[in-house]
Amino acid sequence: MGRAFLIGITAGILAAGFAFADSPSVTAVLSNSEIVVGETVELQIKVTGPGDARPPEEISVDGMEIHATGQSRQFEIHNFATSSSVTYNYTILPLRAGRFTIPPQTVRAGANLLKTPELTLNVADSPSRPSGVRPSRGTQTQSVRASDLVFAELIVPQKTAYVGEIVPVQIRMGFDPRVRPRLIEPPEITGQGFTAQKLQESGQNSETINGRPYDVVTYKTAIAAARAGKFEVGPVKAKAQVLVPRPRSAPRSRSRSPFDLFDLDDPFSDPFFSNPFAQIGERREIEIKSEPVALEVKPLPPKAPPSFSGAIGNFTMTTDAKPKSVQVGDPITVTTAISGRGNFDRVNAPVVEDERGWHKYPPSSKFKQDDEVGISGTKTFETVLSPNEKKQSLPLLAFSYFDPVKEQYVTVRSEPIAISVQGGAVAANVAATQRGSSPPTTATHPVPAIQSTAKPQDILYQLTERPRFTESFAPIYTRRVFWGAQLIPLLALIGFAVWKIRRAKINNREAQRLAALHHEAAELMHKLRRNDASPREYYAEASRVVRVKTALASGSRGIDPNVVDAETAADTFKLNSDERDQLRRLFEQSDEWQYSGAHNGPGRISSESRREVLELIENLK
Amino acid sequence: MKIRGYFIAASLCALSISSLSAQADADFAKANRDFAQGHFKEAISGYEALIRDGQWSANVFYDLGNAYFRAGDFGRAILNYERALALAQHHPEATANLQIARDEAHALELQASWPERYLQSATVNQYSVTAAVAFWVAAFCLAALIFTPRRSAAMISLLLVMLLVFAGAIFAIWQVERGSKGNALAIVTGKDVQARLATADTANAVLALPPGSEVKILSTRGDWTYVALPNNLRGWIPAKNAERVRL
Repeated sequence: MGRAFLIGITAGILAAGFAFADSPSVTAVLSNSEIVVGETVELQIKVTGPGDARPPEEISVDGMEIHATGQSRQFEIHNFATSSSVTYNYTILPLRAGRFTIPPQTVRAGANLLKTPELTLNVADSPSRPSGVRPSRGTQTQSVRASDLVFAELIVPQKTAYVGEIVPVQIRMGFDPRVRPRLIEPPEITGQGFTAQKLQESGQNSETINGRPYDVVTYKTAIAAARAGKFEVGPVKAKAQVLVPRPRSAPRSRSRSPFDLFDLDDPFSDPFFSNPFAQIGERREIEIKSEPVALEVKPLPPKAPPSFSGAIGNFTMTTDAKPKSVQVGDPITVTTAISGRGNFDRVNAPVVEDERGWHKYPPSSKFKQDDEVGISGTKTFETVLSPNEKKQSLPLLAFSYFDPVKEQYVTVRSEPIAISVQGGAVAANVAATQRGSSPPTTATHPVPAIQSTAKPQDILYQLTERPRFTESFAPIYTRRVFWGAQLIPLLALIGFAVWKIRRAKINNREAQRLAALHHEAAELMHKLRRNDASPREYYAEASRVVRVKTALASGSRGIDPNVVDAETAADTFKLNSDERDQLRRLFEQSDEWQYSGAHNGPGRISSESRREVLELIENLK
Repeated sequence: MKIRGYFIAASLCALSISSLSAQADADFAKANRDFAQGHFKEAISGYEALIRDGQWSANVFYDLGNAYFRAGDFGRAILNYERALALAQHHPEATANLQIARDEAHALELQASWPERYLQSATVNQYSVTAAVAFWVAAFCLAALIFTPRRSAAMISLLLVMLLVFAGAIFAIWQVERGSKGNALAIVTGKDVQARLATADTANAVLALPPGSEVKILSTRGDWTYVALPNNLRGWIPAKNAERVRL
């Protein structure tokens, strides 16, 4: 009762409040009346009063881009009087400098047509304050416009490079710790004329820059110019979601935060951060961009040594060989490790300077990097050399690279390695013998056979044998013949299962038959022990018991009890001549009583006869 | 009467197959002669005509690769050596020449993951047959266990081992087929090919791909192909500049 009264009173107050609320009104404010080109300003149109409002769908002012960014609704109760208001937000981006006038806009509120006041916006031509929060870094930095909350920085340690030279690059991205950033798109180095390796995050630390704290994430990568010329590396671009304070309707009206000691116009000195209940922050997606960095790329000088494969950097080479004592034709594995700093993707196996008397097989390689981006490390090559004649040392291996510091080509050679080769000369073409099916080149096709003493990097000969059957690229599991072949084991499995089921059924039937026979034999024995049966019934049952017992004793032969005669039963139980005679008499008497009718009518069997018959039957085992 | 008809049809069929094979042998011999005489373009035409007719064999692709090598087209030479190796994994001549062609072209190779490196010791076909055999042995073991009243531990162990072998073979097929030598492997045949971030010639370059470089085709959009690159990045290349190894 009390609760109903309270609800009624509250509803009455609210109704009265709405009833006596003011008539609709509209206001419009700019978050800032003086900005520079490139900055944005917020326009808020606030409609107070009951009923729905329809804001202007489009506000067009020459020289400015104005976009609606959303709306919010507020309810307030003051001294039992309620009021509601809707605020429509717009973002204004001036395209040029000048003094702009935003004309009055018509807003429909219920049945009323309201007009906003005329607003004036002064746009300056050049920034009135530095755009980056890291002025000390000069042109390499740029902060997110107006927010001063994040920055990206691209650090290229050198201004010139050679085509193909690996240049290490560092990217630093700083975030004000209070914006709680979430990267949507990781940093990416834009620009043309170079290739960049995958970015690796190398660390995170806190720094104070210009009196403001930043969480700085550092990424490392490396770039390599693809052609000569002047390039701009970058800018680095990334996208992140950050928490920013809501735009203020009255700029400069906020109080200075106690944390903003130096009046740096820190957005986070907004009361939102000092008083969380004053205003709610919002997540906004921002693009973070650094300044590009100029890089001059020079072409490699001409007259590269023959063993130069494009390696640029600074390298050292060590060589070893195993085994050092072999027979002619035996393989010797030469391991060459090239260590240093440079573009290892262009570091190829060192060349054999004098291949006469040697057969060289294609080398294998593996690379172990010592840093995050693979600029420094060790590339190890294993080359198999096979001597075709007696030798006392391995041929010299040469590796050439371009040193960008010395600005010249450098060729390093292996130390002479003494070996011992025993035995006579072998056939020139070792590789040909690896493939038994490959015939030697014929006179009809005088194709060049490999000669280890002729042209070392020449390809092997043509193969003149064409297989009788064509081959297919399709894996075997996609071919019909494969699935057709599966029918064979499938049918075998089905056959096996059917055979097993059939066997089980047969075994089951046999078991049932035997159980029935056992049951019948027990029943008949029970009857025979009673004295109430007529002679005809008695002998019929006695002979039947013998037949059933014979069938049971026949085992796997599975004799039908209906076809058992005295001889079969005697044979089955291996009876002696007396027992055999007894059994014959029993069957004869049974037949007489059954078919002759001589003994029809009432009659009795002597107890002696019963005992004999019972003994005979019980002894049948 | 009917039997005689079948016999005649079978004879005609065998005769036509035999004559086709003889013709292919003659074309192959002519292409080889062209190669030996230094007429590499004619040799290329001859080998490619055989391939168009479906006369695929590792040796034909190997010889075609040699002809392209001699003609100075290292990208297509590498492509055809790779095709020869796709048909016959253990083809020493193709392996040797492929390495030489790669050295000449400075071609980039896709890096195989560590399981793939081990699994590449056998072919997909060998794994397929292994999987099939293991499956059927497991099926027979299961049937025997179902229909036999007494379940032996040996039979159960065999079943489990065969199931493991089957699963391992299927994993190997999956790993090899989607790996660096799988069905998506393609070879860059064009010159001055740049992998780019987007499907435009003006888009930023990710990697310069010398002819013969390996890429893995991920998808195709119009005239552009999205590929996995040897440096573990991804990029777009013009579709005409790369050919799949498997036909």
